[in-house]
Amino acid sequence: MRPHLRDWLREAMRDGGLGVVILFFLAPVLWMLITAVKPPGEWLNAPPVFWPSRFYWANFAEALGQWGGAKGLIDSLIVASASTLVSVVVGVFAAYSLGRYRTGGETLSFTVLSILFMPPVAVAVPMYIFWSRLGLLDTFTALILQYTVFNVPFVSWVLKSFFEDINPALEESALVNGATRWQAFYQIALPLAVPAIVAVALLSFIFSWNEFFFAIILTRSDVTTLPVILPTLMEGHDIRWGSIAAIATIAALPVVVLAFCLQHYLVRGLSFGTIREGS
Amino acid sequence: MGTAVAGILGPGRLGVTRTWFGWWLMAPALVMFAANCIFPLAYAVVVSLKNYQMLIPVPARFIGIRNFLHIFGDPLFWSSLKVTASFIAGVVVLQFPAGFALALLLRGMRRFQTLAATLLLIPTIIASSVAAFQWSQLFNYQFGPLNFLLGLFGLGQPTWTASPTLALPSLLLVDFWEWTPFMMLLLLAGLHALPGDIIEAARVDGSRRWQIVWRIYLPLLRPVIGIALVLRVLMSFKTFDIIYVLTAGGPGASTENLAYYTYIVGFRYFNLGYASALAILQLIVVAVLAKALIRLTHRPSLGGAT
Repeated sequence: MRPHLRDWLREAMRDGGLGVVILFFLAPVLWMLITAVKPPGEWLNAPPVFWPSRFYWANFAEALGQWGGAKGLIDSLIVASASTLVSVVVGVFAAYSLGRYRTGGETLSFTVLSILFMPPVAVAVPMYIFWSRLGLLDTFTALILQYTVFNVPFVSWVLKSFFEDINPALEESALVNGATRWQAFYQIALPLAVPAIVAVALLSFIFSWNEFFFAIILTRSDVTTLPVILPTLMEGHDIRWGSIAAIATIAALPVVVLAFCLQHYLVRGLSFGTIREGS
Repeated sequence: MGTAVAGILGPGRLGVTRTWFGWWLMAPALVMFAANCIFPLAYAVVVSLKNYQMLIPVPARFIGIRNFLHIFGDPLFWSSLKVTASFIAGVVVLQFPAGFALALLLRGMRRFQTLAATLLLIPTIIASSVAAFQWSQLFNYQFGPLNFLLGLFGLGQPTWTASPTLALPSLLLVDFWEWTPFMMLLLLAGLHALPGDIIEAARVDGSRRWQIVWRIYLPLLRPVIGIALVLRVLMSFKTFDIIYVLTAGGPGASTENLAYYTYIVGFRYFNLGYASALAILQLIVVAVLAKALIRLTHRPSLGGAT
């Protein structure tokens, strides 16, 4: 029975260790959730309040009403949805073109990947001048189009790998039987790729939803997405930490829910299609 | 089930060699790249050759490569380069080993593996400004839970992000927390793709666990490890949000990395010419790394079974 006991011990130790690890990675998140329901006076205390004396939901009402949370939520939704929509439409075509026709060869593939990893600061100055000349600073148009700079390469690159996974035999036989190239794409390959397209669209939604750098540079007061509201509220005196935590929670919640829905696409999506799992 | 490192010229070529159809499908994306990338980059090159300063009411003059020469004598550039290098060192020295250990830990789990992996991934997928807010609460030196816990053990009460010595390590801790799970995710996918019979054979041979890890896992995982490291190094050049929210580059310039310093030069001092020169320098480095990433993904046979 000894080897059995040793296995059991080893497993118990491993599960215990994993528990500690998960606690470390979730502790900051839990602290935010707790702060979001703490009543005023318990936000910053010595000693810190680890569990609120009562659940104070008014933080959320205050966050949404008084501190621009509602506008932030709506603006974030508009920007992320519109940018995702544009990127997916443009990106699906590009992905199929790159995956099936090797359009532009390795040079174009390399260009797309370079754009994907381009540091945002590299285009920040020219884009700032560009949007300001057009009088589009602090508008939805500018931010939505700016996000496609990253999202189009992302969608193209990841979906390209999915299109490559689809057996081309069906499309080939359709072509042989007189279908046009458009029909082979639209009626055969596209329907097969729908689950992947949805997953990639949701990931690109997450990236836009979280984006911070361009939102800071290109917007001021007319367009305020959730991530940029946070630091503006963290300045000055009498900071309403409970409400800020509530806004942060509102910003984090949809992303976490989506991540759980997308579990099986996370590896390929987050590695930008360079690592394939499953199939 | 299996994982493969995607080849750039993988399967799926549609017979015909020459057709305009591919270019038609590509056209909208190409127009966007031209408008959003090629044009701004070309413009950035032009601006980088001028003394374009928005705050000085003097017309921008063409000054050749003087902005680029200025970079090398700029102490703030060198210190920001050091900060960027620290973030990269954090990726290689801390995040990779920890992510690998986590992946091994998770691989051994029979149940709830996906659930644990997804829970661990929450720091990676939430907005980094949200993450930075969370840590700002933990780091609060008077009322934060971190210093409370340190106090329980009679340890010091550091000021974390406000301290000249601890500000950068604090940011590295946040970066570690944010991105180690990402490392874990990619390496776990690589582990799952390893052919089971090799490991079984090694185990029957009586190899010890660390020998299996060192002699079999690491060599077989090399392509995935390469991709994960290059991806993260590329991303770490972009680190901006946590610096903006937690330290604003301070105290002094001790936590200004290249990206943040470029932002300061361009959007605080409005020295657009110099900022563009800094930006182009970073672009060149990143392009070289992206090329390396393509090389790594180009060897499909090394990714394990397909």
